[in-house]
Amino acid sequence: MNRREFILLIGGGLAWPAIARAQDGTKLHRIFWVSTESEPDPFLDGFREGMRALGYVEGKTVAFETHYAPGNPQALRKIVSELQRGNIDLVVSSGPATRVMTAVTDIPVLFALSGDPVALGVVKSLAHPGTNFTGSTFLSLELAGKRVELLKDIYPKLRKLAVFSNTDHPGEPLEWRATLESCRNLGIEAAYVPFCGARDIENALTAAGKVDANALLVFPDVVTLVHRAKIAEFAIANRLPSMFGWSEYCDAGGLLSYGANQRTTYYRLATYADRILRGENPSDLPVMRPEKFELAVNLKTAKLLGIDLDVSSILFRANKVIS
Amino acid sequence: MTDGAAQSSSRAMPPRRSLFCKYFATLFVAAVVPLILGAAVEASFGYRDQRRQISAVLQADARAASDRIEAFTDGIRDQLGWMVQLPWSAGDDVQHKIDALRLLQQVPAIVSVSLLDETGTERVFVSRLHLNRTGRGIDMSADPAVLGARANKVWYGPVQYQRDSEPYMRIAVAGSLPAAGVAIAEVNLKLIWDVISAIRIGETGYAIVVDDSGHLIAHPDISLVLRGRASSGSFGRIKQLVGAASGAAVITGDQGKPVVALSVHAADVGWTVIAMQPVSEAFASIRAALWRSSILIAFGILIALALAYWRAHRMSGPIKQLEEGVERIRTGQFEHRIKIFSGDELQQLALRFNEMASELAISQQKSARIERLKQFLPSQVAELVEHSHELLEGQRREVAVIFGDLRGFTAFSTRNEPDVIMAVMREYYEAVGTVTTRHEATLIGFDGDGVMLLVNAPVACEQPATQAVRLAIDLQMTVQSIASKWCDAGHAIGFGVGVAMGPATVGTVGYNGRLDYTAMGAVVNLASRLCNLAKDAQILADPTIAGRVRDSIPLASLGQRAIKGYDQALEVFAVAQADLPVKPPGSGPRRREKEPQTH
Repeated sequence: MNRREFILLIGGGLAWPAIARAQDGTKLHRIFWVSTESEPDPFLDGFREGMRALGYVEGKTVAFETHYAPGNPQALRKIVSELQRGNIDLVVSSGPATRVMTAVTDIPVLFALSGDPVALGVVKSLAHPGTNFTGSTFLSLELAGKRVELLKDIYPKLRKLAVFSNTDHPGEPLEWRATLESCRNLGIEAAYVPFCGARDIENALTAAGKVDANALLVFPDVVTLVHRAKIAEFAIANRLPSMFGWSEYCDAGGLLSYGANQRTTYYRLATYADRILRGENPSDLPVMRPEKFELAVNLKTAKLLGIDLDVSSILFRANKVIS
Repeated sequence: MTDGAAQSSSRAMPPRRSLFCKYFATLFVAAVVPLILGAAVEASFGYRDQRRQISAVLQADARAASDRIEAFTDGIRDQLGWMVQLPWSAGDDVQHKIDALRLLQQVPAIVSVSLLDETGTERVFVSRLHLNRTGRGIDMSADPAVLGARANKVWYGPVQYQRDSEPYMRIAVAGSLPAAGVAIAEVNLKLIWDVISAIRIGETGYAIVVDDSGHLIAHPDISLVLRGRASSGSFGRIKQLVGAASGAAVITGDQGKPVVALSVHAADVGWTVIAMQPVSEAFASIRAALWRSSILIAFGILIALALAYWRAHRMSGPIKQLEEGVERIRTGQFEHRIKIFSGDELQQLALRFNEMASELAISQQKSARIERLKQFLPSQVAELVEHSHELLEGQRREVAVIFGDLRGFTAFSTRNEPDVIMAVMREYYEAVGTVTTRHEATLIGFDGDGVMLLVNAPVACEQPATQAVRLAIDLQMTVQSIASKWCDAGHAIGFGVGVAMGPATVGTVGYNGRLDYTAMGAVVNLASRLCNLAKDAQILADPTIAGRVRDSIPLASLGQRAIKGYDQALEVFAVAQADLPVKPPGSGPRRREKEPQTH
């Protein structure tokens, strides 16, 4: 035994054992939730669930102030001035709202992005954000091509793909470009069906029905997530094998989905929120990326579609099968 | 009294180190030191045991973590082994692709799989993120993965951080037949998190994984891993410190707190698993023991304090009492008694002290009595009482010596009965004593009918000559007055006086308790000779006396006289008859004429 260690031990050991944990159970933390989408907001629900799991009680230890500006990121700019009130502990933003929040420099901002936060300019690097921003990225861009491939695996006859896309979504053009490239690689024709926000969705679906596509690819975002049932119904009605980004779409009747588990992502975001509320610096918290991707297939839908599908090519690698 | 004590104590220097403090410190140290030593020894041994036990626990946990990580990589290796069992043949690509897709499904950590044929050309590529490829693709024969796998069957690539954040590595396996080619898997090491985060050492201990160069591969806090190479510095240090120690080492952990850590090397992949547990938890039991000891020590200290205080107080209290008693005695409170009932030597001492105090009180009473008495005594006597010691010491000084002698006493004593003689003598002595006292002179002694008096010794007076002459006159007068009574009774007795002054040795002489104060020297002889020369009712003085009293009492010179024992004649003076009080008329002169003849 060496003496220095022994002294270290005695010193450390005799320190009064009841060193209070840093957590302040009584403080009410105010979280600002900003989104360019509209309610109901499944992302907020996922985040809330995460916070609850971490022991936060809404109204007691955490309070959400939600601000929605559907389809109009500019409308959120005035919210930034509201943040100067000073009693806000954390801002959580998703989608295009994140870009507006770059004006906020003194309050930690958590984001959940489909795209690349470095490219968006809100963080300096994934490993060391170096700003008041940190959060999660869904890697939608990297998965865009994979979704086309999987759709082709289950439906080898795929020749023309209707790409249903909300142009409000940040990074949407990149996502479309990645999709287009993989379509080209796989010898598939792509029909771009853009729309802008929830109010445009009906028209867009009608438009999608007219492009003579024999499959449908829907970019994951809140608008399509909220209207997933309607979109899935449309796909079945039009006998279009459909591909989505999250398994929630399959639950609602979509044929296939491939992407990170959205709830897991928001749950993790909640752990970051917890760490920031405990005093950690967002600039030291690396941006999280999903490492598990879910492939979901809805066999009911496959049956309803009534077309010739190579389900077996998907089944052995599906993480979730709805039958 | 209290005032006096307070004054004296404030006046006295307070002791630099009081007895109480010394006793207290000694007793206290005697009780506390063994207690502390005991606790320290116990803690030290407890620490060693605990250290050994923690080492064992950490070793087991790190080994388990290492095993699970090896199981993780071995699993991937084995799965890849399935891919390279059979040699490539034409049209195999689709089947291989399905196998590879199954592998992806089987092992979530694998991000992509490349299957190469014997030439090192990619035949199948399946990925979770990128588009799958089949058919002849790129030539990878020069890839270190292919070379490594061909050389050693299995190749583990270095850890790489994608976008400097997510840790990845490649694992390549070559088939036993060269024709089976090589399978390369890209593995997302974030998935090891599942393995590592499940490991709990105690309550808050955990395990981490670092590669050879100290880069973090797995940590329960995944965000530390995602910080990429930048954060590797501190983990490299930890790896080095832990690796250097045999058994568990106490180091500063990655969270800045002291931890007990132990490392195990996973040889296959070249990683190091470090199991660590915060010191506060690892040594919780010994800390509890230390607390118990501390409480015991504190308790012991309190008891020791109380005992030491009590003991020291029992010792110093009586001493203080004694000291205070001495102080009281010093201020004259002899009635003060010390009450100590300790039953030991101190009580004995107090008894002695009390005895001393009562004796002191008695002597004090005596001296107080003398003090009171002094008020009623002549100042010489008082002085004698006070300073008898110095006054009676032998010394040489100028004194006046007076000799007196009855005339016709020899004839009287032969003619009369003893009782008559004694009555006369008593009367004579009484008269001489009275006069001596009146004039504050010193009666040296009677010698039959003669008497010797001394002035200016042992008690000094201002004008010894004058006083001596006045004394002589008074003496002559007094004796003459009683002598006239004796004449009336038919006894013819006269009285002559001689006075001389000069230096003489005075002091106490004698032996065996019988001491006499006396004067020796020529002046004594001279006075005695003058006394013999003097006729009845005459006072003869030497020139010294005459010279000294010239101004107050004139003496008549009788001219030079030869004196026995003196070579030269000396001028002799006589007190003038006028200075002598008037004698009762009658027989006086007649007898005076006779007396010298009889003498």
